[in-house]
Amino acid sequence: MNITLTVNGDDYPLDVEPRRVLADALREDCGLTGTHLGCEHGVCGACTVLVDGEAVRACLMLAVQCDGAAVRTVEGLAGPDGEPHPLQRAFSAEHALQCGFCTPGFLMIAAGALESIGDDPELVDRLVESNICRCTGYEPIRRAIMRAATDCPPASDRSPTSEGS
Amino acid sequence: MKPAAFDYVAPHTVREAVDALGDTWRDVRVLAGGQSLILEMHMRRICPDLVVDINHVAGLDRIGLDDGTVRVGALVRHQVFESPQAVPGPLGRLCANAVVNIAHPPIRTRGTLVGSIAWAHPASEWCAIAVALDAVIEVRSSGGVREIAARDFFLGPLQTARAPDEIITSVRFPLLGGSTGVGFVEHRRTHFCFAQVAVAAAVTVHDGLIVDARIGLANCADRPVRARAAERVLIGADVSAANDHPFADAALAGDHQPVDHPFGDADLAGNRLPADHPFARAGRAAADEDAAPVDEPYADPEYRRQVIAVLVGRTLRQAVADWRSHAEPEGGLR
Amino acid sequence: MKLWTRREDARLLTGHGRYVADLVVPGCLDAAFVRSRVAHGLIREVDCSAAREVPGVVGAWSAADLSELPVCANEAAHLQDLPPVPRTMLAKLSTEDAVNGREWPSLAKDRVRYAGEAVAVVLGEDRYRAEDGAAEVTYRIDPLPAVVTPAAGAADSVSLFDGLSNVAFRGTAGEPIEEVVWRRAAAVVEARYRQQLLLPTPMECRTILAVPEDGRLTVWSGHQMPHRLRLELAKSLGWPAERVRVVVPDTGGAFGSKSATFPEYVAVVFLAVKLGRPVRWIEDRMESMSVATRGRGQDQRVRLAADEDGRLLAYELEIDADVGAYPHLGVGLPMQTAWMATGPYMTPRVHATVRSVLTNTMVTYPYRGAGRPEATAALERSMDVLARRLGLDPAELRRRNLIPPESFPYQTPTGRRYDSGNYAAALELALETIGYDAWRAEQARRRARPDALPLGIGLACYVERSGGEPGGLHDFAGVEADEDGAIIAHCGAASSGQSHETTFPALVARTLGVDEYRVRLVEGDTDAQPEGLGSFASRSAQVDGAALQNAALLFAERARERAAELWGVPVEEVEWSGGTLYPVRDGSAGMDLTELVKATGPLRVHERFESGMGFPFGAHAAVAEIDTELGVVRVLRLVAVDDSGVVLDPAVVRGQAFGSAVQGIGQALYEGIPYGEDGVPLMANGLLDYLVPTASEIPPIEIKDTCTPSPSTPLGAKGAGESGCIGSPAAIVNAVADALQIADPDLLQMPLTPDVVWRAARAPKYEEA
Repeated sequence: MNITLTVNGDDYPLDVEPRRVLADALREDCGLTGTHLGCEHGVCGACTVLVDGEAVRACLMLAVQCDGAAVRTVEGLAGPDGEPHPLQRAFSAEHALQCGFCTPGFLMIAAGALESIGDDPELVDRLVESNICRCTGYEPIRRAIMRAATDCPPASDRSPTSEGS
Repeated sequence: MKPAAFDYVAPHTVREAVDALGDTWRDVRVLAGGQSLILEMHMRRICPDLVVDINHVAGLDRIGLDDGTVRVGALVRHQVFESPQAVPGPLGRLCANAVVNIAHPPIRTRGTLVGSIAWAHPASEWCAIAVALDAVIEVRSSGGVREIAARDFFLGPLQTARAPDEIITSVRFPLLGGSTGVGFVEHRRTHFCFAQVAVAAAVTVHDGLIVDARIGLANCADRPVRARAAERVLIGADVSAANDHPFADAALAGDHQPVDHPFGDADLAGNRLPADHPFARAGRAAADEDAAPVDEPYADPEYRRQVIAVLVGRTLRQAVADWRSHAEPEGGLR
Repeated sequence: MKLWTRREDARLLTGHGRYVADLVVPGCLDAAFVRSRVAHGLIREVDCSAAREVPGVVGAWSAADLSELPVCANEAAHLQDLPPVPRTMLAKLSTEDAVNGREWPSLAKDRVRYAGEAVAVVLGEDRYRAEDGAAEVTYRIDPLPAVVTPAAGAADSVSLFDGLSNVAFRGTAGEPIEEVVWRRAAAVVEARYRQQLLLPTPMECRTILAVPEDGRLTVWSGHQMPHRLRLELAKSLGWPAERVRVVVPDTGGAFGSKSATFPEYVAVVFLAVKLGRPVRWIEDRMESMSVATRGRGQDQRVRLAADEDGRLLAYELEIDADVGAYPHLGVGLPMQTAWMATGPYMTPRVHATVRSVLTNTMVTYPYRGAGRPEATAALERSMDVLARRLGLDPAELRRRNLIPPESFPYQTPTGRRYDSGNYAAALELALETIGYDAWRAEQARRRARPDALPLGIGLACYVERSGGEPGGLHDFAGVEADEDGAIIAHCGAASSGQSHETTFPALVARTLGVDEYRVRLVEGDTDAQPEGLGSFASRSAQVDGAALQNAALLFAERARERAAELWGVPVEEVEWSGGTLYPVRDGSAGMDLTELVKATGPLRVHERFESGMGFPFGAHAAVAEIDTELGVVRVLRLVAVDDSGVVLDPAVVRGQAFGSAVQGIGQALYEGIPYGEDGVPLMANGLLDYLVPTASEIPPIEIKDTCTPSPSTPLGAKGAGESGCIGSPAAIVNAVADALQIADPDLLQMPLTPDVVWRAARAPKYEEA
């Protein structure tokens, strides 16, 4: 099937089988290997990306379901000039990653909700509870997301081109 | 863990979807949220010939109210119910209490309530609520519309009364009145697994007495169970006799949330129900008469019956507390 | 301000990390394995013919098919049969005796011995097509009875290898203890403990990509020991090691489980060479859960004796270890438990025996802690039982028996020579940090109230071993400067998340007195670093760090020698300072390393370095309360005090200690592998069945440290990173036992799932002494 994925603002016209999951289309067809597959059954969350602004498991969506949708991956987090996203800075500052394999999923689930955290600090717990990390024990990830939420000016997010200040 | 090949259609109307289902294919599957279906396809335990993606079908993404019932369309995602206002009254609170137990936010952005009911996993929260409240499942095929009562719908693990050429367009729940209190308590080993037991309860109180009780059990049999024996015990019970001191949510849920105060939950003294308390008796009735737990790792039937008995009691106390905090300010006992 | 705290972060946080599955090699084939659904059985037939007709499938083979694979015109033409799985030669993990007569075929030939064992391999143009093919392979296996516990295996009513006992290895540490010692003791406690099988569960499963090119083979793999992998693969192919290059790119966690040559690796490499095409195997989660190596797996019986003052007299530990279906990787691993059985106490008599039993489970192999958690859990649980028997506070019993600082080096009855320690200091810090006395008061308050949730406090003192075993305590490191003045550090380690790229250059820079960013690390490439051992046994800082420091010092020495020669002065008259060489006498301007290298050519120092064993230690403390109606354990506090000697980067070490403690919580409460009657693990829903801790399950954890330098290496570093898995499980189980006051310790076996705890809560309580 011919579809177009809009990933981080770029259009990728693809010819995919209906069975191809979004994560494989991103990794193999778009060459965006920052989205990792850790379990392929929706549990670990390493493949979490934003589809039309909402965090989803890219292993539990078919690529054909995302025809015409706006997908955002870890490669699209930094600003256009390469300026790191507040989450990226905060993850580094808080040692919120060790092997780095689960990291893109945590970054994206947080990116999808970062601006809401100011009103609801407990949201951070629900975000961190959504994915699995086997290295850090989660606490540094929680701290990093809190830090980014504090550093992040409101509504700085969502659109891949609106940041980088 | 890659799905086997299949054909794919994405109809825009229910009619087109029904036509696709009515085809002569061997194995046709409806894709709504896909959070269970695609998982199973990864495992190749389900290898459909045709997937009918209903996500583009207009009109299925709504919650509608009519005539004392709430109609949940086939594309209403779990996350909608996180707001207690998504559905009016106590039912909205019950849904909000239940939905946070379903997986985690990125699954809830895709998965749907109707999808859970169609999937019919014995541990499903929505299925337990559906049987407790006598929900009605509305299915459509080329032959027309059919309504199936929840009690007739669930036939076993992942087995339902839906025919292969039928699509569930919506599920209808009765709205709950203002004098009804609701509770939902789930017990699971970690945040990430299926419920070992979950209990949904709605109790209607009049003049301080329980006049109606509805209890649904998840993962207490090969299908969702309505705990009728437990409900019978409750009719006429005096709620003022209930020690409804609310547990901390974490303790109620059997969840392992750390607590902030240094000495933990020291003050649960007196919170164990006396054995002759109606809620304790209801718990025992649910465990011994209503449930038929199957053996599974870390939860044999004996342990599961214990959990059922305890959780039913706790859920009922939560429901009475809910009734008290919501019904009284609106004008006392109605 | 630095943009990134670790150098790795720049790519790992932006989606530019490169794990094996991210590498693009044109024409690469994906392998999928057809796996037995039977745990034990005789293979009657494997038919791959239908698979070969599937579009996109390039080939499908059973073991028998592979021997008929046409000989192609390349270097492996002489290879007829698929080579078997090689055995581990390091650290006495396997022995010639255990392996003799027990072949581990890379694809099962006539018999399967664990559920998931591969019976055929399919290569496809991508993983989808490879799995399409695998789905079409049919096989017929006649089931045999399966044994999945050491006791059942040791009974030998079912033999995994015809004519051979399932007991594949026996070992002892220490001298047998005469009965009179037990008879005369004031108190003797006995117990049985189960150290359950665990899945290491790195977030990235195993990976291998084999690319044949110009008569050589390049193997990319997420791996801890690239040089071992090179050697074992080359041997399998009958090639000299130089013809194989192993490269370790970013690796998504390992925890011990990525350090061997696995059956699938042999098959992939064999096919790549035979076909002359790149082939990769990216293990998926369900495969990993059924066929990646397991950790732990011991049934233990202990006896611990003390006099009336609570001085330990004797300790006996009998281990029946479940080592899985083949003895090749870890049959000797339980000896780690035996050698460490003495623990941190001055027990004069200690005797540990090991029986390693083959069972129809996937092979047991080191997983974070690797033998030391088992030793600690057995001893520390018994210490608590003994304390109750004697009417002593568990902390006090430990105080009376910890090896005092002045006794080091300390020779244990089980053959270890502990390097250094202040065990009591770690215990006191743990008690103080958790607020031991206040919790005891709270416990007393609750015990006076029948309906209060019972609360318990658990302690675990531990000592472990880091660096490796004799014969494997060395590594290779180098420091080089090329003409652009950049300094490149080389070592034989391979990071799977331990921040080597950041910490090692910092160490070399500090040693040389140059800017940190002038130094860059090269590791995990056997072409760039011809010799190496790898990252295991918590050794990176202790062994490779010391090796790098040593190489850096030699490097500065060589630079001085060169400058001396250039200037025609004695070497004593040349000083190295901050990357510049100065003549001591004439006070003229110095010569920067860059200029020196320009004038005299590249400067390279490569050295083998040998460390002693390190013995990190610490004390962990946990507080737990129990919802006895449901059996739910809520850990309220966990404190981990670890002593890793001198640490290179405290933030990195603390991060690992924290993560390790969470894995310890996993063993204590959640993780385990249930088996069905037929010997097949009951984990059909993957990570929805095997429950690793999520953020929801994490109690407040406090990590503290003490610092007792190790005399075994010049850096003073001991191992770090495994401590949480070693100390925390015993502390948590002790807290639960303390809360429930159970009389029979055998009732609490990990994981302490709610059903287990609910049953234990109803069991008789011990009499207060």
